[in-house]
Amino acid sequence: MTRAEAFSEREVAMCNVARMVENGRTYWAAGGGTPLYSILLGKKLYAPEAQYVTEDGVIAPEPMLPYEPMMTMLAARATYRALAWGTMNTAGIYSQLGYMDYGVLNTLQVDKHGNINSTFLGEWGAGGRRMHGPGGADTIAACCWRTILITDQSKRKFVEKVDFISSPGFLDGSEGARERAGLPRNTGPWRVVTPWGMYDYQDRRLRLIARVPWVTVDEILAECEYLPLVAPEVKVLEAPTEEEVHLLRTELDVRGQTTDAAGGWIIWDGEQYVRGSAE
Amino acid sequence: MTTASEPATIEVLASGTAPYHKIDPDGFREWVRDHKERALVSKLMTEKEAVEKFVADGDYITYECNYLTRGPNSLLHEIMRQQKKNLWIAGKFTYVDVGMLVGAGCASKVDTGFFLCTPAVRQALDAGKLEVYEYSNVIMTMRLEAGAQGIPFIPVRSFGGTDGFDHSGAKLITDPYTGQATVIIPALNPDVAIIHVQQADRFGNARLFGTGISDVPAALASRKVIVSAEEIIDTEEIRSNPGLTKIPYWCVDAVVEAPFAGYPGTVPGYYASDPAVVMEVFASVLRGAVEPYLEKWVFSVKSHQEMLEKNVGVAKLLDMRKRETIRGGYRA
Repeated sequence: MTRAEAFSEREVAMCNVARMVENGRTYWAAGGGTPLYSILLGKKLYAPEAQYVTEDGVIAPEPMLPYEPMMTMLAARATYRALAWGTMNTAGIYSQLGYMDYGVLNTLQVDKHGNINSTFLGEWGAGGRRMHGPGGADTIAACCWRTILITDQSKRKFVEKVDFISSPGFLDGSEGARERAGLPRNTGPWRVVTPWGMYDYQDRRLRLIARVPWVTVDEILAECEYLPLVAPEVKVLEAPTEEEVHLLRTELDVRGQTTDAAGGWIIWDGEQYVRGSAE
Repeated sequence: MTTASEPATIEVLASGTAPYHKIDPDGFREWVRDHKERALVSKLMTEKEAVEKFVADGDYITYECNYLTRGPNSLLHEIMRQQKKNLWIAGKFTYVDVGMLVGAGCASKVDTGFFLCTPAVRQALDAGKLEVYEYSNVIMTMRLEAGAQGIPFIPVRSFGGTDGFDHSGAKLITDPYTGQATVIIPALNPDVAIIHVQQADRFGNARLFGTGISDVPAALASRKVIVSAEEIIDTEEIRSNPGLTKIPYWCVDAVVEAPFAGYPGTVPGYYASDPAVVMEVFASVLRGAVEPYLEKWVFSVKSHQEMLEKNVGVAKLLDMRKRETIRGGYRA
C-alpha cells in the first residue's frame, strides 16, 4: 500500500479507527459522520465481516455509495440491503443484551475518566452554552462492551472534568462506579482517537499510547488541559494510505472534503510529513 | 437450576429533579375506554380538521422521525399555522423541528435526547420561556415503550451516572430481584402523537416501511393519534397482507391523506429530499432567521397542498420521486 501524499487531520483519525475494525464484531455507529465513515472504511478494506447498526435499529446494511452528505440514518440509501430493519428501541435493546461489541462516537469534550459532554458548556442552566445533547451516545457509551471515541486534539476538548456528563465514561474513576450507577458491568471507554494520536485507559485514567509521525508527545501534551498518563513506549502510527483516502474522498466522507478543507493538512515534502498551515 | 434468593427491599438511591408528564396508567385505560373508537369508521379528514380537533394548547406532543426523514411535516406545519401554544415536546432524535416549533412560539417545554440548539431556542431559554429536561434518545423511546405497555415506569441499563439523570425524571433504585443498582424511567403517555406513514386505510390501519424511531410505541402510548399517509389504500389490501399492519386502526383518531407530507425531507422508498430547501431550513434555523422560513413555507399558505402548488411545483416533486431509486422493501 502506498502512503498518501497529502491528507487532512479528519482523514487521519478516521483511518486510525478503520484499522481497528475487526471481523466478526458488531459496531454501533453514532449518527452519521466520522464514526460511521470509519467503520465503513474498515469494512471495505480490512474487515468485511464486521457488522454495524445505527440508532434506527438497522442491522448490517450495505449502504448505497457514495454516502450522501445530507442523508440521515433512516434514508433508503443508508439502510439499503440490510439484514433487518428495526427501531431505536431494538438498537437500544441489542446493546442492553450485550450484542454490541463496540460503540463508536465523536464528541466535543472528554475528561480524564472518559466522560463525554455534548450537552452544556459552563454551568447547567446558568447562562452557559447549551448544545445538542447526547442523542444516542449515552446508550452507546453505557451498553456497548467497548467504546471508541473520536475527537480533536485540543485543550478545550481534553479537560480535567467535563462540565456535564452527557454520556458515561468511568464517572468519578473509582472502581465499580459504573455498576453503582446502574450500568452493565465490564463496559466502558476503550480508546480515544484524535488526528494526532491514540489513548487507552489505565486504571480508568486516560493514557497516551500512540502518536502520528509528524507530531511529538510534547506537542500532544501541550494540547491537553488534563495531562494524561503516557505509556512507557508511545507507538508511532502509520500515515494514511492512498487507498484509504481515495475511498474516503470518493465514497464515504464526501462532504468532509469540502467542510474540512480549511482544517489541518499533512503533506509529504519528499522526506517526511509536515503539517501544512491553513493560512 | 436457579432458585430465588432472599428478596431485597426497593430503595431509592437517587432521583432526578425534573418534572415529568403525568403518569396515570388507570387514567389512560379509562381514556381508551371512553375515547378510542372500536368500530371501523372512517377517520379521514384534512390536516386542518385533525389539528383543530386533536391538538390543544398545553398538550404533550410526540412526533415520529424528524423533519428530514419521514417527518410528519404537513402536520407540524399545521400546528404552527394554528399557533398552538405551550406545547411540551418530545424532542428525541430531532434536528431542526424543535427550533422551528420554538421559533413559531408553540413550545414551552422540551424533553430532549437530541435537538439543534438554535438561536431561537437559546433566546427562549434565556428569557425563561422554555424549559428543557434532559434525557437521551433511547431513554425517550423506552419511556414511550413503557407508556405503550400501560405500566408506570421501566428499568433500563443506560442513563445512570450522567448529569442528564439529575435533570430528568429518572430514579436509581435497588432492584428487589438482583439487589443491583438499577435506573428506572417514567412512562411517557403523550396527549398527542403525529406520525407520517407510507400507507394507511381510512380507518387508520397503517403500514410503515423502512427503519423507524418509535412509531408503534408512540401510537400505542398516546391519547390522541393523528396519522398522515402518503397513500390511502383500500382495507381489502390491508386484509390481503395483515402482517404489514404496524399500527392498528383502534389506536388512530385521525387519518390525513398527505402525499409529499415529508417535504422537504425524504420519505424512504417514495421520494428523495429537496436538498436546496433542506439547506434553507438548516441555515434559517441555525442562523436565527427562522421567521422568514416559516413565513414562506408555513404561514403564507393555507395548507400543505397549497404550499406544494405555490412553492414547489409538479416538476420538482416528480424529480424527487425519480431520484428515490430504491423501492425494494417499501411496498407490499
